[in-house]
Amino acid sequence: MTSFWLGRGGRALAVLALLGVFTMALPQLIPGDPAIAVLGTQATPEQIALFHSKLDLDQNPFVRFGNWIAQAVQGNLGTSLTTDASIADEFARRLPVTLQLVLASQVIALGLAIPVALRQAWRPNGLMDRIATGISFVLLSMPGFVLGLVLIYLFAVRLSWLPATGWVPFVEDPLGNLRTLVLPALTLGLAEAAIYGRALRSDLVTTLDQPFIHAATSRGMRPGKILVARAFRPSSLSLVTLVGLGIASSIGGSILVETLFAVPGMGRLAQGAILARDFPVIEAVVLVAGCAVVLMNILVDLSYRFIDPRITHGNN
Amino acid sequence: MATINIALPKAALTKSKTSRRRINTGLLLSILWLAVLGTLSLVSLFWDGLDPIKADFSSPAAAPSADHLFGTDATGRDVFARTVAGARSSFAVAGITLTVGLGVGVLLGTLAGYLGGLFDRVIGILLDSIIAFPALILIMLVVTLQGPSLWTIGSIIGFLTVPSMARITRASTLTLREREFVTAARLLNASRVRIMLREVLPNVAPIALAYGFTVMTVSIVAEGSLSFLGFGLQPPTPSWGGIIADGRTQLAAAPWISLFPAITLCLTVLALNVVGERVKGRNS
Repeated sequence: MTSFWLGRGGRALAVLALLGVFTMALPQLIPGDPAIAVLGTQATPEQIALFHSKLDLDQNPFVRFGNWIAQAVQGNLGTSLTTDASIADEFARRLPVTLQLVLASQVIALGLAIPVALRQAWRPNGLMDRIATGISFVLLSMPGFVLGLVLIYLFAVRLSWLPATGWVPFVEDPLGNLRTLVLPALTLGLAEAAIYGRALRSDLVTTLDQPFIHAATSRGMRPGKILVARAFRPSSLSLVTLVGLGIASSIGGSILVETLFAVPGMGRLAQGAILARDFPVIEAVVLVAGCAVVLMNILVDLSYRFIDPRITHGNN
Repeated sequence: MATINIALPKAALTKSKTSRRRINTGLLLSILWLAVLGTLSLVSLFWDGLDPIKADFSSPAAAPSADHLFGTDATGRDVFARTVAGARSSFAVAGITLTVGLGVGVLLGTLAGYLGGLFDRVIGILLDSIIAFPALILIMLVVTLQGPSLWTIGSIIGFLTVPSMARITRASTLTLREREFVTAARLLNASRVRIMLREVLPNVAPIALAYGFTVMTVSIVAEGSLSFLGFGLQPPTPSWGGIIADGRTQLAAAPWISLFPAITLCLTVLALNVVGERVKGRNS
């Protein structure tokens, strides 16, 4: 067991190191001088030299990554090239917004997926199952930006119930915050719900064919109770994996939804930084998002043992 | 990775006759849709009746009619012609993605699965670090730095599908490696290269190809998202994401500008999903 976690941790560190070096190598991978790309061809040699020293560009990616880590553990993520603002401060403003969005979308996704999947698995191939499967297939075929536009068209343009874009912080106006949160969270949540629902349904159908379920049925346990109290937990492995993946990837992956709905989170920050070629900001976003993915993977692995104690960790 | 040390019975796949027939209709419609769209996008290359750039200035933002099946956009360009031309871009990018993703993914997966050991571990860590990289950020960054050409967009999306393709092929290679015919080949003193090319690869290929449909949907959605954000193929080259983004400001007055390309995009992804599911089902 200990050796497994040592190996798991070692692998995670190796993955992060590789990600870090690759990220740091990015400015140097562009053909031509990144200083020219950012400052323009009119830049004087002094400006270029200043730019290089500011970004540590004279060093190789390994050294740059080392320096970055040394600063990062002290809470210093560098400063933005365009605004000169501290990136750590910027993250402190934007990360809560993205996290609130992610949390809300996960609540929606799980709130929809779990009851529907339980109902579907209770009567596989029944009418409800087919309708739900059809809807989830359609949702899976809808890119986020199309789903978002459809929701804007319905709820903002046609019905004028909710604002199409914009963001009100929770501390300013909780109700206004909720109103601006609903559409972006629905856009992310509905897509996730389809993915979660399909996985959970198929795992549930497998579980419901197991001897311990037949035993519970023959003892006269009610179907609802069997589903919730017996079948759900051992069927939730794929679900937990997908939820972990979903949360982790939306830290750096909610660019589309944040842009579509003008939500001032991490995704918008990343998009702006890419447009401005603001490398320190891009590097920080990528590394924070990468850490989230690696950390989530470990948490998911850890959770398997709690969900199903029969699982042991091999050295594969 | 966690392994499950208990045997779980496979899902009882109970398919009634009616559901089978229903799936066939869906499959037929999906193939038909893809064929029609593919033919149209080929025809539009030669026939200037489907010119996506020619603007009819007398009727900007006109509603769908016999003249303009999907209506016209804000500058009077035919939305139907633009949607068809958008299909061309999407299919081109998907083709490049498929080639890169399947080519590199299957190669790495087969090698890692068959050779095992240190190579397998190094590849595993490499793939994990690609997965840890926020996908859309990487695509946007590369496209910004390299310029938004079909090749750049297709290859970078393809690069990002390599980890999943490699994992799928690695897993099938691991089971194939233990099969009798591979052992037989080994006993006949066949070289590793020969075993991989002649014994393992032909059995891995159909599984990988089935996932190719998923790769294509991922590519079409990614290219659409990229264009929607303004990072994709640049105007005047039409792409679905770009057309949909253009129509955003007229959502209230002229919803058809965004609506028709969006429906086409979704139906195409849906059709590819339906066909892909079927091919995957065949294999297992």
